[in-house]
Amino acid sequence: MSDTPRTPAIAQATRKRGLRAGGLGRKRTQGNWRGLPFVLPYLPFLIVFGVLPMIYALTLAFTSSKGKFVGLSNFNQAGGDFRFGDAFAHVFVYTAVWLVALMIFVVGLALMLHSRASKATATFRFLYYMPGALAGAASVLVWLFMLDPTVSPASFILNHVFGIHLFVEAIAPGHLPYIFAMIAFWTGAGGWIVVLYGALNTIPSELEEAARIDGAGAWTIALRLKLPMIRKWVAYMVILSFATGTQLFVEPQLVNEASLGHVPDTWSANQLAYQLAFRYARFNEAAAISVDLLVIGLIAAVLIVTRTGLFKKDD
Amino acid sequence: MRLTARGLWYLTLVVFALFFVVPILWLVLAPTKVDNALVTSNPLAFGSFHNVVKAWDHLDSYSSHLYRRWIENSLLYAVSATAIVIATAIPAGYGLALGTFRGRKLVLTLTLIVMIMPAAALVLPIFLELNALKLIGNVLSVILPFAFYPFGVYIAYIYYSTSMPRDVLDAARIDGCGEWATFRHISLPLAKPVVALVLFFSFVADWNNFFLPFAVLGTSKQYPIQVGLSDLLSSTPSFNPAVGGGGQTVPIFRPELALATLLAVVPVLIVFVFSQRALVRGLLGGGVKG
Amino acid sequence: MQRRLWLPVLVTALALAGCSSSKKSTTAASSTPAPAPSAAASTTAAPASAPASTPAAPASTPAAPASSAAPAVSTASGNLTVWVDAVRLPDAKAYQAAHPNVKMNIVTFDGDGNGATSLQTKIQLWNKAGSGWPDVIFSEQVNDPVWMAQAPFNFAADMGAALGKSVTSQWPAASLAQCTVNGTLVCIQDNLAPVVLWVNQKLMTQFGYTVPKTWQDWQALGNKVATEHPGYIIGASGESYGAWQYFWANQCPLESNVSGQKVTINVTDVHCTEMASLLDPLIKNGTVPPLSVFSPDFAKKYGGTADKVLMMVGPAWYTSVFHDTLKTPSGEMTAAPPLQWGTDSPVTTGQIGGGPWIISKHSSNPAAAADFVLWSTTVFNPPSTSPDYRPGLPGYGPLQGPWLTGLTSNNYWAADPAPAIKAAASQIWSGWDLVTYPDQPVWSNTVVTGLVAGKSLSSLMPAFGKALGQAAKAAGYTVATS
Repeated sequence: MSDTPRTPAIAQATRKRGLRAGGLGRKRTQGNWRGLPFVLPYLPFLIVFGVLPMIYALTLAFTSSKGKFVGLSNFNQAGGDFRFGDAFAHVFVYTAVWLVALMIFVVGLALMLHSRASKATATFRFLYYMPGALAGAASVLVWLFMLDPTVSPASFILNHVFGIHLFVEAIAPGHLPYIFAMIAFWTGAGGWIVVLYGALNTIPSELEEAARIDGAGAWTIALRLKLPMIRKWVAYMVILSFATGTQLFVEPQLVNEASLGHVPDTWSANQLAYQLAFRYARFNEAAAISVDLLVIGLIAAVLIVTRTGLFKKDD
Repeated sequence: MRLTARGLWYLTLVVFALFFVVPILWLVLAPTKVDNALVTSNPLAFGSFHNVVKAWDHLDSYSSHLYRRWIENSLLYAVSATAIVIATAIPAGYGLALGTFRGRKLVLTLTLIVMIMPAAALVLPIFLELNALKLIGNVLSVILPFAFYPFGVYIAYIYYSTSMPRDVLDAARIDGCGEWATFRHISLPLAKPVVALVLFFSFVADWNNFFLPFAVLGTSKQYPIQVGLSDLLSSTPSFNPAVGGGGQTVPIFRPELALATLLAVVPVLIVFVFSQRALVRGLLGGGVKG
Repeated sequence: MQRRLWLPVLVTALALAGCSSSKKSTTAASSTPAPAPSAAASTTAAPASAPASTPAAPASTPAAPASSAAPAVSTASGNLTVWVDAVRLPDAKAYQAAHPNVKMNIVTFDGDGNGATSLQTKIQLWNKAGSGWPDVIFSEQVNDPVWMAQAPFNFAADMGAALGKSVTSQWPAASLAQCTVNGTLVCIQDNLAPVVLWVNQKLMTQFGYTVPKTWQDWQALGNKVATEHPGYIIGASGESYGAWQYFWANQCPLESNVSGQKVTINVTDVHCTEMASLLDPLIKNGTVPPLSVFSPDFAKKYGGTADKVLMMVGPAWYTSVFHDTLKTPSGEMTAAPPLQWGTDSPVTTGQIGGGPWIISKHSSNPAAAADFVLWSTTVFNPPSTSPDYRPGLPGYGPLQGPWLTGLTSNNYWAADPAPAIKAAASQIWSGWDLVTYPDQPVWSNTVVTGLVAGKSLSSLMPAFGKALGQAAKAAGYTVATS
C-alpha cells in the first residue's frame, strides 16, 4: 500500500545483496520454505477449526445421516421446511436494511467527521464507538428496554412518531428486521466509522489542499476525492457485514425469549439451522442451510470484489 | 450561509451522538433505581447508590453467585484464547506476508474463505469434532475454537505486508540475522500496534461470542457472561413473570438486569478505551462484529 | 499496558478456573436402589418445611399412611442435581434444608415455559456428550414428558416404578393419563390446573353485575362492560396458551385423537368457530385484550392500583398471579365455576399446565431423585400466607384438602375460591391429547401477533390451523383435519 522510503543506504544494500546472493537460483531454493515456521503454530488451528469443519459441513450437506451421497436431497428437504422461506426472507431484508444504513450513515459520518477534524470530532468518534463494547446479548438487553415504551427514554418518539404504546407492538413481526438492523448498526457503526476515519487519514493532505485551491467545496471533496480513495475499505466493510449479517442469531434468539415466543425461535436462517441440528438432530439439513448461507456470502463477496476491483492491487 | 451548513453538520453529529449514547446512559443509571421507579420516574434520572448495592445483592444471590462464575468464565475463555491467538496469529501473519514458502497463497485463501463462512456451518461440525475428541463439557471446548482467529491472522498479514519494508528485513539478513532473530529483533518490536489491534479484536470477539458457547456448553456453570445473560433473561420475572411468582424467590427485575448487562461490558469497555488510540492512529483493521 | 496486565490476569483466570473445575460434582454411588422412597423421610421433613401453622401440619399425617412402609431415611443421600423453575425454588431449598445428607445442586431455569425448546437442545447435547443430565427436571410445559420419553431423547425414567403404585394411585386418573407414554408413567404432575373463572367480587358488586355461568352470558357482560365501564377487562387473549383457555374448554379439536404419530387438527369444527366468533367482539371492544397477564404492560394497565381486572378466565394457579404478579388488592378476588357453552352438559373446561416432574433415566442417584419428587409433590405445602406457598392445586389427592383449606382460610380472597377449583378439577375435557411439539409458540406468533395488529380471531383461525399442522408434520406426525 505505502511505498517504502528508499534511502540510499538501503538501496545500496539491496544492490549488494543481489550480487552477493549469486543470482536468482540461490534465492529460489532459499525462498521455498522461508516464513513457514512462523505459520506452523497457526496451521493446526486453521485445519482443525477452519478447514476440517468446512469440509465436514460440505460433506454433511451432501450426504444422508447414514453417510450415503444424496446429492441435493438435503437442500430440498431443508428448503421444503415450512420455516425456511420466512427465515431467509427475514435475513435478506435485515441484511439489506443494515447494509444500506452502513453505507449511508457510516460512510457519511466518517466523511463528516473527517471534513472538520478537531477535538470535538474526536469526542464524537469516541461516543459513536462506545456501543461497540456491547455487542451480542448485552446490546439486545439494552434495546429490549429501549423499545419498551414504559421505561424507554425514547418513549416520546415511540408513542408519537411510531404510534407504539406497548412492547408487544414494538416487536410486531413487520418491525423486526428494522429493529435488528438498528441494533446491529448501534453496535457496529462506531467501529467502522473509526476504521474508515483511519483510512481517510491515509489520504495525503496535499490532495485535499490542491482540491480546495481549485475551489472545491466540502461536499465535492468528500464525495469526489475522499470517497473513491476509501472505496476498498467500504468494500471490505460491506463484504464482512454481509457475511455477519446473514449469520444473525443472538438478537432474534434473545427477543424470542423476551417476547415469550411471539418472535419464533426460527426467525433467522441461522436459528433454523441450529434448531434442525440441535433440536431435531437433522444435522444434514442444518448443514445444507449453512452451505446455502456460505454460497450467498461467497457470491456477494465475489460480486463486490470484482465490481470494486478490490484485489487489483497486489497484496 | 456557512453558519447554517456548519450548524446542520453539528446537529447531525449531535443527533447521532444521542442515538449512540443515550441507551448507555440509561443503562448506567438504571441500577440506581428500583423497578417501579424505572417506569414512573424520568428515564435518565439518578436514583441512589443504595439501590445499586441492593441490585448487586440480588444479582449475586441468583443461583449462588452464578453471575460471578459467568464473568470468571468469560475472562478465562477470552484471556486464554487471546493469548494463544497472539502467539500464533502474529507470527502467522508475518510468515504469510513476508515469507515465500510454497502454499503461502493457499493458506491465505483458506484463511479468507473461513473468515466469510457462516458461524452455523462451523459450529455444528466443530461440535461433532469436539465430541469425538471427548472435549464436550471441558472448558477447552470453548477456548480452542476461540483460539482460532483467522481475522487476527489477516490483520497481521495486511500490517506486515504493507508497513514492513522488505528491504529492512533483507538488510538484516545480510547482516547475518537468521529468520528467528530477524523476527524477534526487528519485526516483533515494530508489531506493537498490530499486537494491540489483534489483542483488542480477539478479546472483544471472544468476550462477545454467543453462538459457540451456547451450542456446546451443557451446564450454566460454564457459560460465559453473554450466554449467562440470556439465561438470566429467561429465568427471571422481568421478562418471564410467569416464573418467580412476582419475584420473591428470584428477585431479578429490570434494575438487576441492567446492572448485569453493565457489569458484563466493563472488561470490554476497559479494553476499548485503551485500544481506541491504536485504532484511530490511521492504522488499518476492519471490525468483525458479532 | 495490555501486555503487563494480561499475564497476571491470565494466571488469575486460570487459577480461578482450576478452583471452579475441581468443584465438579462427582456422582457418588447411591447406597440402596430402593424403588419406593422412605415414608420416614417425608414425615421427618414435614415439620421442617411447615413452620408451625395449622393448615400445613395435617399435610404430614395423610402423607405417612399413604406412602407404603419403605426403607429408612438414609436412602436420601448423595448428590442430586435438580432443575427447577423459580416458583419451585423454595421447594428445592426446603428439601435441601430438611435433607442435609443430600448434596443438592439446584439449577434455576426458565422451566421450558411458553413452548420453549431449550430443553430439547440441552438433552440432545447431554446425550451426545454422554454426561451432564440433571437427576430431576421440573417442566412448565405439560407436553415435555411426551417427547422426553421417546427417541431420540430417551430421557424420562419410569416414574411409576420410582414412586410406587400406592403413591401414584392418589393422583386423578386423567392426570396420570397425561403422564403415560406408551404405557409407562414417565412423569408426575405437580398440580392440577383446571381453568376457572376468576372474578373480582368487589367490583362486580360495585357495578351491579352477576357472575355469568355461560360463555354467552360472559360475552354479553363483556359488551356491557365495554360501554358502561370501559377500561375494565374480563379476560386476556394474549397468552401463549390462549388455545387452552378458550378452545380446550369448548372441546375444539386442535390436538385430538392422538394415536402414535397421528393427530387431528380441525379448526373448522363448530366448537372452534363458535368460540372464535364469541371472542371476536370482546377482543375488539377491549374487554379481552391481546395482552399477557405476565407482561409488565398488563400489570401497569390492569393490576395493582389500577385494579381493572373484573374477570379472568384462568387456571387454578392464578392464585399467585393476582397476589404476586398483578398485586391485586386484598379482599376482591375469588373463583367461580368454569363457563359452559349454553346448556351443554357435562361442563368441560381447559387445562393450563400442571407442572410435570421428570426423573432422568441416566440419574446416578435415582433413590434421592425419587425421594425429592415424592417430597415435593406429597409433603411440601407451606401455608397459603407464606411467600413460598404452592400456587396450584396439588395433584396428590390427600394434599388437596389441606391446600384448599389453606385457600379458604386465607383472607386475601373476597370469597372462598376452593369450591370452584375443586369442582373444576374433574371437568377438564379429556379430548385434548398431548403431543411432542409445543403449540404455544404457534398460537403466539400466528394468532397473538395478528390480534395485536388488529385482526379478528376468526380471520386468524385458518392460518393458525395451517401452522399447527406444519408444526405437527415437522415433528413427524400425520395430520387429519376432521
